[in-house]
Amino acid sequence: MMRLPDLLRFAAGSLSGARTRTGLMLLAMGIGVASVVLLTALGEGARHYVVKEFAQLGTDLLIMMPGRNETTGGAPPLFGETPRDLTLQDALALQRHPSIRSIAPISVGNAPVSRGAREREVTIIGSTAQFFPVRHVQVSSGSPLPAGEVERANNLVVLGHNLRRELFDGERVLGRWVRINDRRFRIIGVLGNSGQSLGQDLGDMAIIPVASAQQLFDSPSLFRVLIQARSKEDLPGAERAAREIIRKRHDGEDDVTIIAQDAMLKTFDGILRALTYTVAGIAAISLAVAGVLIMNVMLVAVAQRVPEIGLLKALGASEKEVLRVFLVESTLLAGSGALLGILLAASGIWVLRQLFPVFPLAAPLWSLFSSVGVALLIGLLFGVLPARRAARLDPVQALNRR
Amino acid sequence: MLLQDHIHLTAGAILAQRTRSLLTGLGIAVGIAAVVLLTAIGEGVQRFVVQEFTQFGTNLLAVSPGKTETFGMSGALVSNVRPLSLEDAQSLQQLPQVEAVVPFIQGNAQVEANQRSRRTMVFGTGPGVPAVWSIEPALGRFLPQEDWRRARPFAVLGSKLRDELFGNRSPLGERIRIGGETYRIIGSMQPKGQMLGFDLDDTVYIPVARAMAMFDRESLMEVDVLYAADADADTLADRVRRRLEQRHGSEDFTIVTQDQMLDVLSSVLEVLTLAVGALGAISLLVGGIGILTIMTISVRERSAEVGLLRALGSSRRQILWLFLGEATVLGMAGGFAGLSLGICGAWLLGLLLPGLPVHIAWEYALLALSVALLVGLTAGVAPALRAAGLDPIEALHSE
Repeated sequence: MMRLPDLLRFAAGSLSGARTRTGLMLLAMGIGVASVVLLTALGEGARHYVVKEFAQLGTDLLIMMPGRNETTGGAPPLFGETPRDLTLQDALALQRHPSIRSIAPISVGNAPVSRGAREREVTIIGSTAQFFPVRHVQVSSGSPLPAGEVERANNLVVLGHNLRRELFDGERVLGRWVRINDRRFRIIGVLGNSGQSLGQDLGDMAIIPVASAQQLFDSPSLFRVLIQARSKEDLPGAERAAREIIRKRHDGEDDVTIIAQDAMLKTFDGILRALTYTVAGIAAISLAVAGVLIMNVMLVAVAQRVPEIGLLKALGASEKEVLRVFLVESTLLAGSGALLGILLAASGIWVLRQLFPVFPLAAPLWSLFSSVGVALLIGLLFGVLPARRAARLDPVQALNRR
Repeated sequence: MLLQDHIHLTAGAILAQRTRSLLTGLGIAVGIAAVVLLTAIGEGVQRFVVQEFTQFGTNLLAVSPGKTETFGMSGALVSNVRPLSLEDAQSLQQLPQVEAVVPFIQGNAQVEANQRSRRTMVFGTGPGVPAVWSIEPALGRFLPQEDWRRARPFAVLGSKLRDELFGNRSPLGERIRIGGETYRIIGSMQPKGQMLGFDLDDTVYIPVARAMAMFDRESLMEVDVLYAADADADTLADRVRRRLEQRHGSEDFTIVTQDQMLDVLSSVLEVLTLAVGALGAISLLVGGIGILTIMTISVRERSAEVGLLRALGSSRRQILWLFLGEATVLGMAGGFAGLSLGICGAWLLGLLLPGLPVHIAWEYALLALSVALLVGLTAGVAPALRAAGLDPIEALHSE
């Protein structure tokens, strides 16, 4: 009866006997495992990145938009018009509810911003002081929109950093004036460089008080209302309350859509997770190909080592023991290949990290364990056929072959 | 050595080790099948998207308010200080080679008819819709040709909304309240499906001027222009640009032709297909290592044979080609097996999941086949060189 250390030594001995062959098989398995681990690391990295972006905005956020689709349950009315506007007064009414911490009304439109002969057509956001804390937007110099007097159309503007550079180059801008369409606005602040959130680059935008925007675009309708609940637990209550308040103000008509930031986060999370699994699955096909290769080479090895097997059996090794010898060999092969693959993946990840430091790249533990597990399983499975062939050899005939 | 002998020797070597050759070929076959199947799905999705677009006709260009360089949503769609007016749209109708113009605004409102009520999308458009969006009325007629500013309160239902409001009954002539105003239904459309997230069936079409009044806005969201089939897209875009610049004083709008949109979409999807194919090719690489391994073993086993051939006068070059040929044949055989496997798989997938658009991407399939050939050839080089380099005396001795 062979003990496990003996088995391992035996297998390792026969593997190192044929170096090129063993090396190639390790490489094959290694490439498979490395691609699975690397691709899951990329997928997970993308997921973490998106989740982080969303989490920055806070998970206690609700987004209200005018209009509601009843029939489809499909996409919400992203930028439609409604007969009854969602007004600033509607938004302000929400603020008084105890489960709502703060609200930021938003109206949006395009308008030319000019200073002297320089003109840029940019997206103008009309909002209030609350917009900055709710969207986690900071000014790098000056101050955000002032609190209070929400319904007064003060001619103040906070510029995005790109816009400021394009209009003023490096000059001082605080206190100076720009023209937005036909009105003059005083610059009170500039957005920080981190003005990018969820793919929307605030750097090319200008933020003005919501009442000024409504005058500018001659429209009393709000595009969105951001609602921050008092806490995550208050979220459902806040949503119910907001819907009820608007219904009352709109003569009993339930004509707004409310989306929880959390729900959007979950959707993205789910999509990216599915994508990672798919990509890893496709890469894992190569593991099966490596398995076929192992089976093939093990069959060759069995054929070459017929006399040796005959000798083992003549010395009293049972079928089970011979089977085990070859199974250990193929599993050892697959396992070392997997380790090589993990080393390859680790160096790949290291290189990518040096190249893209912002991207949170890390191989998730589950992918390490599952790829090594799958590799071992494949080594075992594809080793069965050659090992059985070896085990069933008749010792007399086998010894006779030489 | 004659070519015939070459083929004979190679075939003999491959057939003598049936299991081994089969497994080696299988490795390549799995890789090729993965590439073929994955690119088939990619190509299918691409065709599906392009078809979604072109079902609205091909000679189209769209004008939207606001100057944007990107395809992203711009704030200009929501509000704008320089509106794209109804008169702008009307002025485009007089341009040469323009066949029809559809002004478009979209909103969301309560729709009540037949004692039922739904909140749904409302499209404000003009009589050009059937021609420009290639969507025909199933019942009755579309909005009539009349002065856009003084259009009568007629409404046309999308197919899904008609089902939900009227079931099997004919809606023609019925009254319908949209956002509190009363309209008369003069037609209902054929099912058309989705377009970039807009469900064209779950909607009601009303005259654009009335929609603008209902939603209290003076800017259109988009103007679609259908031009003559023999006209050049760029010339037309230029003509539209000049006309609107005259009216507005500057280029404060964006023109996108259908060709441009298709180009961008196709190139994005092309990259996606390529990426998916490349993922499948990882398996092909591993399969190539399989050929390399087996050929190395095979050269070692057959060194006596090589020695004999060399002793009988074969040149090194002949030995080299013998083993290279064997590796290539293994690769090609696996390639063809993989191709048929992939095609069967694509066919089966189309059968099992009819919703998934699958279309064999022949250029990728051919590419994969040539890669298989190349993989076989490359994998054969090192072992073949080793065989060719064998010393005949020592090789014979190894027996």
